[in-house]
Amino acid sequence: MRAKEKLIEDFGVKQPRGGVVPSAASVVGVSKRFGKTSILENISFDVAEGEALVLLGASGSGKTTILRIIAGLEQPYTGKVILHGKDVTELPARERGVGVIFQSYALFPKMTVEKNIGYGLRIRKRKRKEIKQTVNELLSLVQLEEHRKKYPSQLSGGQQQRVAIARTLAYNPEVLLFDEPFGALDTQTRTHLRREIRALLRKVNVPAIFITHDQEEALELGDRVAVINRGHIEQIGTPFEIYNQPATEYVATFLGAANLLDGTVRNGLIEVGSGKLQAKLDPNRFKDGDSVRVVFRPEDVTLSKTDFARPGHVKIATARVAEITFVGAYERLRLLFDRPEDSSSEDDAYYLTTDVPERAKTASIIATRPKPEASATKLQIGDRVVIGLNSFTVLPTSQQKQDVKEK
Amino acid sequence: MRHVRGFDVARPLSIGMLVLMMLPLVFLPLLSIFIFGTSNGLDKFLSALTAPEAIFALKLSIATSFWATVFNVIFGLFAAYVLSRYNFWGRNALIVTISLPTAIPTAVAGFALLLLWGPYGTLGRFLAPQGVQIMFTAGAIILANIFVTFPLAFGVIKPVFDTMSRSLEEASATIGATRWQTFWHVTLPSLRGAIVSGALLTFARAVGEFGSTILVSGNLAGRTQTAPLYIFAKFNEGQIEAANAIAIVLALFSFLIFSVLFFARDWLDVD
Repeated sequence: MRAKEKLIEDFGVKQPRGGVVPSAASVVGVSKRFGKTSILENISFDVAEGEALVLLGASGSGKTTILRIIAGLEQPYTGKVILHGKDVTELPARERGVGVIFQSYALFPKMTVEKNIGYGLRIRKRKRKEIKQTVNELLSLVQLEEHRKKYPSQLSGGQQQRVAIARTLAYNPEVLLFDEPFGALDTQTRTHLRREIRALLRKVNVPAIFITHDQEEALELGDRVAVINRGHIEQIGTPFEIYNQPATEYVATFLGAANLLDGTVRNGLIEVGSGKLQAKLDPNRFKDGDSVRVVFRPEDVTLSKTDFARPGHVKIATARVAEITFVGAYERLRLLFDRPEDSSSEDDAYYLTTDVPERAKTASIIATRPKPEASATKLQIGDRVVIGLNSFTVLPTSQQKQDVKEK
Repeated sequence: MRHVRGFDVARPLSIGMLVLMMLPLVFLPLLSIFIFGTSNGLDKFLSALTAPEAIFALKLSIATSFWATVFNVIFGLFAAYVLSRYNFWGRNALIVTISLPTAIPTAVAGFALLLLWGPYGTLGRFLAPQGVQIMFTAGAIILANIFVTFPLAFGVIKPVFDTMSRSLEEASATIGATRWQTFWHVTLPSLRGAIVSGALLTFARAVGEFGSTILVSGNLAGRTQTAPLYIFAKFNEGQIEAANAIAIVLALFSFLIFSVLFFARDWLDVD
């Protein structure tokens, strides 16, 4: 049995609970409706012991509702919430033992820092000595010893957040839930606090679920990231997976800049306009004649002034440099594919058209180059370059998806 | 109007006009209480003040107002909680009804209580044969005080409830607190200021209540005569000094309460 209220020194030495270790927290088939509006559809995921999972989505995607359902502040329409093997779906918030760090931190304004941190133990009627000891340990863990007698209004945003975390750690929570933890802070503090929280979580080894709409934050904080869109999970995976192998167009475009080109599958190759791309295609997923969309990131584009792409890179077309922007650490280029009017006959092989009407005339892609490369091969507006791809993802077009649904 | 650089003529003019307007309306009447009350010497004033009936009237006023305040603060707290936490059909109607006593003439309030609880009243006629008589007792005065001060504490507490962040209570729940623990440790401390000012307002208003009290109390000297009724009775009997002595006490008393309300604002709202 899991001793729910262990002292702080026990953190990090979790005992395996008999044979198979169940995941620390699971959400199974949860859906939620408000009236006739569906907010969440069939949400399922697991969080392992000590793992940090980030729910990433735009505002209104339903991510906050998932968090509130896990905390017991809202009831799911269907589905279950399981914490350390125990089904808590029917339990009220106060019996679940989860730690919620609210966006506003929700510190009790009339209590000092130490009173806030000791609150969970006071209402559990712990001995005064025990409360004092735990509070002292937590104060040193979050490095707020000298602020113990202060009131929340006298602390900075970052300090308040640390108090909020310590307040939940006091009762040894099953899982920590962070609701947009850095939303109220300026960019510099944000980056700093992100690292601090990562380090803290590693120390206490409590599973955590974060909610954010900031993709950079999601990639940095999460061991895994779940991308939520309109109440369903688009993709769940490691930051590397969701960034480099996006499962859907939404994931591709939500996580940073992405270039999209329409193409067709022909003989195991992808035809993008008059260019041909070699790709390993899953025969179960793509058949000859299927319309697909090729997705790649600006940093996956390589440019060369010779007629060939760099070794190991897939050549797709030639293009003209239309715009160069200096963005600090790297250089951003906008590239226009050759147009029939200004292309000679031998270049026709590289001519690309796209099926997207609004892109047909100004088919352009964005490429970025790091500083060393940019200074090694200087490019100017109007230069002709061969475009190669370091990596790319092939997705079925959304048009096709709709067809499937209609059938 | 001509302007001298850095000097706004409108300022001293408007301040002067304000004071001038308040002079006959508020300042002079209050001042005359003190002038007349002490004009026959301090001895006369003190003996008028220490007359057994006068002391009884003051004590009765304070006691009845105290209990009305206790009731209305608890009720106001409860009503504010229910009406700001839950949304239900008829909620606005309830809010209007709670606030209604402000607009009802106090004589009407007293009369209404008589019609309900009096010996021939709607409920009173069933109680009278059992020997239960509520009207013309201290209990009736408390009932009247509750009625006329009903919306005061509620009116101060409700806005604080409305603006209080729900996440504080949610945080407390996720930490493991019961509803009652949350109310006691989290909600109530944030309401401290509103509760104190609501209580002071209610008490001040109840101590001065006249219209409803004179109808329901029977105005029996030494038994159901409150301080304002004592002033009225003594004035009718021509004992101006006696009336004046109590009037001074009541005036000083309200002055004190409103000073507390005004100058302790920072303390009451402290975060």
